[in-house]
Parts: sequence; C-alpha cells; structure tokens
Amino acid sequence: MSDAFLSIKDVNKTFGSVHAVDGVSLDIHENEFFALLGASGSGKTTLLRMLAGFEDLSGGDVVLEGASIAALPPNRRPVNLMFQSYALFPHMTVAQNIAYGLEMDRLPRAEITSRVAEILEVIQLGHLAKRKPDQLSGGQKQRVALARALVKRPKVLLLDEPLGALDKKLRSEMQLELKRLQHEFGITFIVVTHDQEEALVMADRIAIMRDGGLLQVGTPQDIYEAPETRFAADFIGVMNFLPVTAGDQGFVARDGSVILADRVNGTGGAIAAVRPERLVLGDRGQNTLRGTVTNTAYHGLDLLLHITTRLSDTPVIARMTAEMADHLRPEMGQEITLSWSAKDTHIFPA
Amino acid sequence: MNGFLMSTDRRPMLLMTPALLWLFGLMVVPCLLILVLAFFRRGIYGGIEYTWTFENIALVFDPLYFQIFMKSAGIAGLSAAIACVLGYAAAYAIAAMPRRHQPLLLFFAVLPFWSNYLVRTYAWIVLLNREGLIVNLARWIGYEGELPSMLYTEQAVVIGLVYNYLPFVILSCYAPLSRLSPEIAEASRDLGGSAWTTFRRVTLPMTVPGIATGFVFVFVLSIGNFVTPALLGGGQFQMIGNLVYAQFLTANDWPFGAALSMVLIAVMLGLLMGQAVVAERASGGKRAPDG
Ligand SMILES: Nc1ncnc2c1ncn2[C@@H]1O[C@H](COP(=O)(O)OP(=O)(O)OP(=O)(O)O)[C@@H](O)[C@H]1O
Ligand SMILES: [Mg+2]
Repeated sequence: MSDAFLSIKDVNKTFGSVHAVDGVSLDIHENEFFALLGASGSGKTTLLRMLAGFEDLSGGDVVLEGASIAALPPNRRPVNLMFQSYALFPHMTVAQNIAYGLEMDRLPRAEITSRVAEILEVIQLGHLAKRKPDQLSGGQKQRVALARALVKRPKVLLLDEPLGALDKKLRSEMQLELKRLQHEFGITFIVVTHDQEEALVMADRIAIMRDGGLLQVGTPQDIYEAPETRFAADFIGVMNFLPVTAGDQGFVARDGSVILADRVNGTGGAIAAVRPERLVLGDRGQNTLRGTVTNTAYHGLDLLLHITTRLSDTPVIARMTAEMADHLRPEMGQEITLSWSAKDTHIFPA
Repeated sequence: MNGFLMSTDRRPMLLMTPALLWLFGLMVVPCLLILVLAFFRRGIYGGIEYTWTFENIALVFDPLYFQIFMKSAGIAGLSAAIACVLGYAAAYAIAAMPRRHQPLLLFFAVLPFWSNYLVRTYAWIVLLNREGLIVNLARWIGYEGELPSMLYTEQAVVIGLVYNYLPFVILSCYAPLSRLSPEIAEASRDLGGSAWTTFRRVTLPMTVPGIATGFVFVFVLSIGNFVTPALLGGGQFQMIGNLVYAQFLTANDWPFGAALSMVLIAVMLGLLMGQAVVAERASGGKRAPDG
C-alpha cells in the first residue's frame, strides 16, 4: 500500500504513563471521507492533533503523498484542523476569521476577498460577514469554523467532533452538508465522532478506536454487517447477544437448542449475536426463540419489542416496521415466536 | 457568564451597598468639594474667599504650570510604557508555565507589595547613590570612567515608579493571558501563522485590555505621585503631585490646588474611559440577537 495518499505508520503517543494512541497504522485514500469512531478517551483527538502537528509522535511516522510530515510544524503542514471548540478568533469578524489563513499564505488582497466571499456564499452566511463570533449561534459558529479551515483548500481536513454541539435536527442536516462540501471541494476529510449513526451516514470508511488502538477498519456496511469483535458489534447499532457454549453439535444456547451461525469470529465462541431487524415473526428461519413481550418502544419510524426469553438475561430486541406493528398490534405479556437465519448470526469469543 | 448581573434578582445590589456608600462618602463627596473649591478665590492671607472665579482653572494652563503638567505626563507615560513591556513579558512567561507552578510565581511577582512603599523607595536611594551598589558594581567589574550620578535625576524617578507599580501590570496582564484558550493560538498556527505572527495578530490583540488596564493604572498612580519624585528626584524638579501638595500644605492656596487636582482627575477619567473602550473592542462587542 505504498500508493496511499496519507499513511499513518505505527503511530504512538504516551503522556507519562498514559498510552493515548497505541500503534495505529492506517492508509487513507485521496478524497476519502474517513471517520474515526470511538468512545470518550479512546485517543481520537490525540491522533488528530498528531496529524495536525500539535503533538509530537512518541513513535511512528506520518507520510503524506510520499513525504514524511511528522517533523513539520503545524503552520507548514498542508493539513487543517477544525477544533472541537471551533477556536474562532473573538476579536475578528467572520470575514476576517476566514481571511486569516489566506493572509498567512500571502495571497493577493483581491484573491483573498473573492475567495472569502465565495466560501461565505457556500456556507450561506454572507449576511453575517461583519459579525463577531460572540454574536453567532452555535450552528453559525460551526459553519464559520468549517469555512475557515476549508477556504485554505488543505490536502487533508481534520474535523474533531464538528457537529458535537448541534441539536439533532441540525446535526442530520449538517451531516449531508459536510458530505456535499467534501465532494464539491474534493478534499480528504478525517472526521472524529463518537456518534456511530453519524459515522455510518457520512463516511466512506470507518475506523473504530478503543483504548488508543484500532479495532476494525472498513466501509459502513462492513462494520455494521460484519463486526469482527464483540465490542464493535455492541458499539455500532443495536445488537442482541445470546450466551452459548461451543460443543460437538455446534453452538448450544441456554435452552439446549442449537444456534446455526455463518459468521464465526475467533475460536472458543461464547456468545451469539443478531441484529433486531434480522428477527422475523413466526417460525420461518433456521434459528428460533420463544418469549414474552415485556416492553414496547415506539420510535415513529419503527417499533422495538423487548422480549424476555430463557436464552439471555437481558431482553431480546426485535424491530417491527410501523406497517407490521399496525397489523399485529403486539401487546404486553403476549407470547411470541421469532426466527432468523444462520447468515445473520455472528459468534464472538468471550 | 454575565447572567448573574443581568438577572432580575436584586440581592446582588444589596451586597454592593456598603461598598457604594463607602465610595460615595469618602470619594465622591470630597471630589465634589474639591470641584467647588476650584471656583472660589484665594483669600489674601490664605483661606478661601467665597466669590466665583475661573482664574484658578486658567492658571493651570499658564505655561509655567502647564509645563509641569506635561512633564509629569511624560514621566508617567514613560514609566507606564516601560512597566507594560516588562510586566507583559513577565506575565506571558508565567502564563506559559505549567498551571500548578503559576500561583507561586505570581506570589513572587507581587512580593514587593508586602513591604512599605517608603522602604522600597529608600532602597533605591541606596542602590543609585554616588557610592551606591550600582556604582560599586560597575567599579568592581572594572569600569574606570566617570559615572553620572544616577540619584536625583528624572531617570531615577522613572526607575522608582516602574519598580513600584510593576506588580500591578503583571497581574493585569496575567489575567487575560491565563484565560486565553491554547486552542485559539493553535488555530492560528494551524492556519499557517508562525509563532510570531500568532502572537502579533491573535495573542496580543486579545490581551490588550490587560495592558491598557496596567498602563492606565501606572500612569494614574505615577502622575499624581509626590513621594517618589521628592525622594528620588531630590527636589530637582516638580511633578504635578508635588505642586498640588505644595498648594495645600505650604502655599496655602487651596483653590489653586483644587483646580490642579480637578484637571488631573479629568485627565484620569478620560484615560479610564479610553481603557473601557479598548476592553470592549477586544472582547468582540456585545452579543446581538440573530437577525
Ligand atoms: N495532554 C495530555 N496529558 C495527559 N493525558 C492526556 C493528554 N491528552 C489526552 N490525554 C489522555 O489520552 C487519552 C485519549 O484522549 P483523547 O482526548 O485523545 O480522547 P478522545 O477519544 O478524543 O475522547 P473524547 O471523545 O472525550 O474527546 C485519555 O485517556 C486522556 O486522558
Ligand atoms: Mg476528543
């Protein structure tokens, strides 16, 4: 993989005794929308700050288009970072904030003016050009911070939780907006998020981080449909886990039934997993379970049934579309049979 | 952040009352008395003759006295400028240290404040004297030439003022520097700014209010100061403070002393207002509703 656009090679970062980033290797393609997904404290910000040049590497190398950038100071890297806190300059207007990076490049005045006007148009904030950051709403600040980084047309744009401070509706709007901008500008994006849904919607590829290391890298479909570890399966979306014991006849569930599974990860399988939307009503698949409806959770788009079974301590969750729910009208206490097929069943070690 | 002051709760006002009463009784009222005094005539044998006149005010702008005013302003301005450069540098260095060491460093910076003003000023006499420490040091290093007497000069007064008021500037500059989010400076580096450009275009403008406060503080305290000019200037020249002092205590011309004080107060108020404007600008203006 020597033709990778951005190559992160066995990068390490320690703060005293804390191993914040632990041997991360990653190849990122040109024009890729890449998401770093992980729980709080997993090292996402630290990795991004190393790419931007704000943290020295404790080990490893970062290679951009064939040349190492690990020793360059932040102002000499063709990489820009959009800070989690936005870090807008409070004493400058919106237009001055955006122009700042271009002034640092010593571009002619006329070009700076036209590029600032152009990007203000793109983020639809032309009418606020003369405002100071304190006079903007959270969503507006976020767009100014994005414009300020984007206007420099960096080779790589790093975004640390760019949508973290926005409400849910604005978030989903901005997710699509970010994708559109990335496409329009043709810039490689690396976005940090701890919102798995956001990563699935936006990214071409996702890396799941845990304790400073990479757990799995792949397309959203890969990660969702074929998680390689129990952690990844649990972290992305909703997953039902059923304890099993591996025996001669296969994987035996608590009630003695054998669970057929196509997706076996590792050895010494101890837990089976299946997604709620893969469970169907009735006895129509290779694996079956019976239980009692103990709760229903209405989400508008769908209805989640919580079903208490003998197969696990926690209720199994099954998803019904609004259409199905209208027909069946599941009630609390109702006995129910669910089935699913082997191709949707994952097995993970303990 | 300012919700506390903007709330409709009136209890904060109650807490301010004692301080306000104190200020009113012991600051505002005497100032008003001085103000009125400046418009009366001086009695022939001292004392005050209660007839209205603008003569005292006019006399302040008489070249003889106005020149003292300008000289004082020059010395105060120079002292304030030097104190700001030294103080900002010190505050910057302290703010760049690991957080847990900062309180101790600040404590050392303001330590001289804990000793008496007169003692500190007398110490400088010892240092600057013809046979003082500084001269001896120069001799010891091997300097043989003629040394100008440093004591009882304008420079001595400036040195004394800078030394005495430096801690104020360190504190007033440290406050905004320590509040500065490191990410703001990082954003500037990220956008292509060198360390120096980042300082000049981001750090400095954002902390100018601290410098302005420090400058005004030193200037105001220096221009009215009469102890340092008397001790370190050795009566070689008068500053406005000495002039006021003389009017009240030796010349017995209270109305003229009052007029001098009034003009001084007016200058200070003007400066304080200028400083408020600077602070307002740097903070990025008031929050306006979205339009
Ligand atoms: N300057 C530092 N000094 C010491 N430890 C640090 C420093 N910066 C980060 N860490 C530690 O490194 C680990 C990773 O932190 P990091 O900020 O990269 O996490 P994150 O994935 O961005 O988390 P979040 O989602 O909460 O932003 C944490 O354990 C953190 O405490
Ligand atoms: Mg973070």
